[in-house]
Amino acid sequence: MSTAAQALAEAAQPIHPPPTSFWRQYVFSIDHKVIAKQFLWAGLLFLLVGGTLAMLIRWQWAYPYRPVPVIGQLFLRENGGVIGPATYQQIFTTHGLIMIFFAVTPVLIGCFGNFLIPLMIGARDMAFPKLNMYSFWTFLLSQLLVLASFFTDLGSAGAGWTTYPPLSTNVGTPGPGQTLVVAAIFVTGVSSTMGAINYVTTVIRMRAPGMGYMRLPLTMWGLWLTAILNALFVPVLGSAALLLLLDRNFGTQFFVAGASAVRGGGDPILFQHLFWIFGHPEVYILILPAWGILGDVIPFFARKPHHWYKGTVWAMVIVTVLSAMVYGHHMFMTGMSPLLGEGFMLFTLLISAPSMVVVLNWALTLWRASIRFDTPMLFALATVFVFGVGGLTGLFLADISMDLYLHDTMFVVGHFHFTMAAASFIGAMTGVYFWFPKIFGRKLDERLGKAHFWFTFVGITLVFAGQLLAGYAGQQRRLFDPFQYTFIQGLRGLNRWTSFFAFALFAGQFIFVWNFFKTLFGKAVPAGENPWQVTTLEWTATGSPPPFHNFDRIPEVVRGPHEFSNPEVRRLTGRDFAGQSEVLPGSAGPALAAARG
Amino acid sequence: MPGTNVRRTPADLPAPEVPDLHRYRLRRTEGEVTSYVGMIIFLGSWAMMFAALFFAYAVVRLRAPMWPPPDQPALPILVPGLNTAVIAASSLAVVLASRAHALGRHRRASIGLGVAAGLGALFLGLQILVWVGVWRAGLLPSGGPYPSAFYALTAFHALHVLVGLAALGVLAIRARPPRGTTRSAVRLWGMFWHFVGAVWVALYVAVYLV
Repeated sequence: MSTAAQALAEAAQPIHPPPTSFWRQYVFSIDHKVIAKQFLWAGLLFLLVGGTLAMLIRWQWAYPYRPVPVIGQLFLRENGGVIGPATYQQIFTTHGLIMIFFAVTPVLIGCFGNFLIPLMIGARDMAFPKLNMYSFWTFLLSQLLVLASFFTDLGSAGAGWTTYPPLSTNVGTPGPGQTLVVAAIFVTGVSSTMGAINYVTTVIRMRAPGMGYMRLPLTMWGLWLTAILNALFVPVLGSAALLLLLDRNFGTQFFVAGASAVRGGGDPILFQHLFWIFGHPEVYILILPAWGILGDVIPFFARKPHHWYKGTVWAMVIVTVLSAMVYGHHMFMTGMSPLLGEGFMLFTLLISAPSMVVVLNWALTLWRASIRFDTPMLFALATVFVFGVGGLTGLFLADISMDLYLHDTMFVVGHFHFTMAAASFIGAMTGVYFWFPKIFGRKLDERLGKAHFWFTFVGITLVFAGQLLAGYAGQQRRLFDPFQYTFIQGLRGLNRWTSFFAFALFAGQFIFVWNFFKTLFGKAVPAGENPWQVTTLEWTATGSPPPFHNFDRIPEVVRGPHEFSNPEVRRLTGRDFAGQSEVLPGSAGPALAAARG
Repeated sequence: MPGTNVRRTPADLPAPEVPDLHRYRLRRTEGEVTSYVGMIIFLGSWAMMFAALFFAYAVVRLRAPMWPPPDQPALPILVPGLNTAVIAASSLAVVLASRAHALGRHRRASIGLGVAAGLGALFLGLQILVWVGVWRAGLLPSGGPYPSAFYALTAFHALHVLVGLAALGVLAIRARPPRGTTRSAVRLWGMFWHFVGAVWVALYVAVYLV
C-alpha cells in the first residue's frame, strides 16, 4: 500500500532503467553511488600521496641533510636522495594542498555527500545527476593538474598551501608548477561549487514524504550546512585564484608590491583577505561532515537517541553562520586595527559555545549507554577526543596576546592538524568503516580495523602533540632545517621522536589498505541489509549495496533518525530499534503517524 | 517488489478538481521547481565570486593615492552607458520571449531570444570598442592596479556575456515552431542573463562612473 504522498514522490522521480554499457555504468556514470565510489578512490589515492609527502617532511626534521631511504632513491636521485631546500618547499606546500583539497574533501564531501544524501533522505538520485558527473570529472582534471605540476621545470608549487603573495607571484615562484597548482585550485573550486549546488538543492527538494528538516539524520545536517558554506565561499577562493593567475600570466598588479610593482602595485594583504574569507569557512567545511557523521554513529552504537537533537542542529547552524565572521583571526599579525582584531577574537571565542553544545550532546548521549565498541564507534570516540584537543588549543590562538607569541610556530601546525587533519581524517574513517557495508555490500574485517584504529589514534595524537610541544617551545613552522637556530637545537630529540611516531602512524595505514582490498576482492560474506542494526533509510529501506534506483518504493518517513531502546518498539517488534520508515505492527499506519509529526 | 517498477506519470494519478484546467496545466512541475531552486543557488554562489572581485577592486582602489593615476587615461562613460541600455533591452527581450513561450507562441519566443542574443553581441562589440579605445590611449593591463582592475572585471564579465549570448542563440534556434524548446531552458537561461545584466549595472557604476 502506498500513500498519496508516496505516489506523488514516485511520479516526480520515476525509475529509470540502469545503464548497460561499460562506460555508462562505471566511467561516465550519472549514478550518485558510482560517482561516490569514484570520489572515494580518487581521494584515498591522494591521501596516500599526501601522507607520503608528510613522511618526507618528518624525515627532514628527524634527519636533515641525510638521504631519504627508498623514496629518495626513486624521486630525488639527482640530489643523491637528499631533500634540498627548494624540494622541501614544494613538499610541504603540496602536502597541505593535496590533503585539504584533493584528499579529505573528496572523501568526506565527494564520497559521503554523494553516496549518502539521496539514500538518507529517501530519493532515487541527486537533483542534477549530470551535474554530479561533471563535478567528478572536473575534480579529476584538477588532480591531474596537480600531478602535472611535479613534472614541470622548477617543480611544483612552493609558496605554502596558503599561496600567499608575493611569494606566490612570479617574483617568488617563477615556475609553471605554481601556475598549474593555482589553476588546479580554481578548477577544484568549480567542481566543489557544482557539487554544493547539487547537494543543497537535493536536500531542499528531494526529501521523501515525512522527512522534515528535524527528522534528517545529523549526517545530512552536517553535509547540507557544508554544502551551503561551499556554495557561498568557494567562489571567493576562485576569485583569489583567478586574480593570482592574472597576476602570474597577464602582468596585472593585484598582489604585487614593493620593488617589482608598477605605480605602487596592489596589495599582498588583499590576497590574505580573500583567501581567509574562504579559508576559515573551509575549516568548518572539513569538520561539519565529520560532526554530522559522529552525530549519527554515536547514538547508533550507544543504542540511545541523540541527546537534544535539536540543540545539536541549531548549534551546527550557529557554527556555520559564525564561521563566516571570524576569518580575521588568521591575520592578527598583518597590522590590522586592534579594535577589528578584538571583534574577530570575540567571535572566534564565541564559536566554542555552540561547539561545546555539540560535544556535550555527544557526551550525554554516551552517558549510561550500553555502548557497542565496533570499529566505527572506536573511530567516532577518537574523533571526539582529537577534536576536543584541537578545539581547546584553538582558544590559545584565538586570543590576540597569546597569538603574538604562538603565531607561525609549530603550535599552529599542531592545532590545525588536530582539527582539520586528525578530526576530519578519523571522522572520515568512522564513515568509511560504518558505510563500507552499504557502499560495497561487504563488511571490513573487525580485527584488522581495530589494529588500524589503535595505530591511527595513538599515532595521530602523539605526532600532533609533539608538534604542539615543539611550537610552544618556540619552533617556527615550515623551517627547512629548524636546528640551524641555537634555541631550537634542544628540540632535536622531540622532533625525532615525533617523526618516529609519524612513521608508525603511516605504516599503520597499510593495515587499512590491506583490509580494504582484502574485503573488496577476497572471499567475504555479504554484509546483509542492516549489519549495524540502525535506523536510517539507507539501512532500513533498501539492500546492500542499493539497486540503481535506490528504493523500490520511495519510503514514507514516520519518525526521527535515532529511535533506539524504546520499550514500546521492543514490545511490538522484539528489537531495540525502529527504522525511520518502518510501520510497526498494530500501529495505525503511516498516514496517522505522519500526521502526528 | 513486483508491479512497482512501472513508470508513473502525473496523468496516472486521479485528476484533482480544479476550476481552471488551463492554469493547472501551466503549473510548474516538480522537476522544474527543482531546477529553478538549483539555478537560484548557483547564481547566489556565483554572485559571491563577483562580490569578491568587487571587494578586491575596492581594496586596490582605496589603497591608491589617486584614481585614476594622473598619467593614465580616464575611462569613457558614454559608450559603456549606452551598453547599460543595450543589456537592459536585451533582458527585456528575454522577459518577453519567456512570456511568449509560456503561452505557446513559439515564433515570438524564438524572435525574442534571437533579439536578446543579438543585443548581447552588440554589447560585446561596444565593449571591444571600449577596450580598443583605452588600449590605444596607453592603458595596458601591466600598467599598475588601475588598468589591472579595469581589465580583470570587464573581461571576466564579458566572458559571462559570451556564454549567455551563445546559449540564447542556440535557444533561439531550438525554440522555433512547431516544437519549441522546454519551458525551463528559456526560464533558466533568462535568469542567468538577468544576473549578468545586474552585474553589469553594478560594474558600470563602480568602475566607470564613480
